[in-house]
Amino acid sequence: MGLADELLSDARYLADQAIADQRRSHMRRVISTAYYAVFHLFVEDFVEHWEFPDQRARLGRMFNHGPMRASFTAKDKKNPTQLEKELIEVTTSFEQLQKDRERADYDSGWSLVETDVRNSVTLAEEVFEKWRRIEGEDLARHHLLSMFGAKRE
Amino acid sequence: MYVPSAVTKQSEIQAAINHVEKSLAPDVVRIRYEIGEDWSGQWAIFFRVVLTDDAARHRLREVATKVVWGLAQQLDFPGMGVFPYHNFRSTSEQAMLQEPAWA
Repeated sequence: MGLADELLSDARYLADQAIADQRRSHMRRVISTAYYAVFHLFVEDFVEHWEFPDQRARLGRMFNHGPMRASFTAKDKKNPTQLEKELIEVTTSFEQLQKDRERADYDSGWSLVETDVRNSVTLAEEVFEKWRRIEGEDLARHHLLSMFGAKRE
Repeated sequence: MYVPSAVTKQSEIQAAINHVEKSLAPDVVRIRYEIGEDWSGQWAIFFRVVLTDDAARHRLREVATKVVWGLAQQLDFPGMGVFPYHNFRSTSEQAMLQEPAWA
């Protein structure tokens, strides 16, 4: 099991605990962990195709949170293909998780509720499921490059 | 100072919200929103969606996905210069917190 899967598993486990205990600090850790699970999902996918295993961890550290928010727009906005729709869902969910992670870590005024916690975990689960379904598609591979900071042609 | 066009399209936004609220009732109780900058300084529209307790507990992803897509189908967020964020809470949770922004 890779780090991404372990973190997702941690998020699920922590969510149950945090909700049962109604402990706000744990709720914040769930949201942060759910985001980092998805962050590492993309990083792992990118670096595992690098030929030199001993350089993969170093390559992974080149990912920055900001550029990873690269948005994606369907060619025909009103009528996206199924693949485009799934990629849009992946990118918007990633941005949502990133925003919530930022709030969970720094916004002490955020009144977190159980729904926030469960929403973050299920959003992360959906990203995992959708990304693994489309990750081999050309469109998804190009988007991953954009998340790494590569300019579109 | 740059101001996104979403600021001038509030009636269009409210109309889209009314439509989504109506089409997803009774699961969706109400939707409130606010336009502002997010943590990175990017302009955003923050939707606050109150769901029934049943929807929040048993059909959260299903209903949340419908809300997200319902709003996105009617509002051109990139064209409005904003990124949409959606947060959800149940009627009971809001009743306990009593936050005016969600009322």
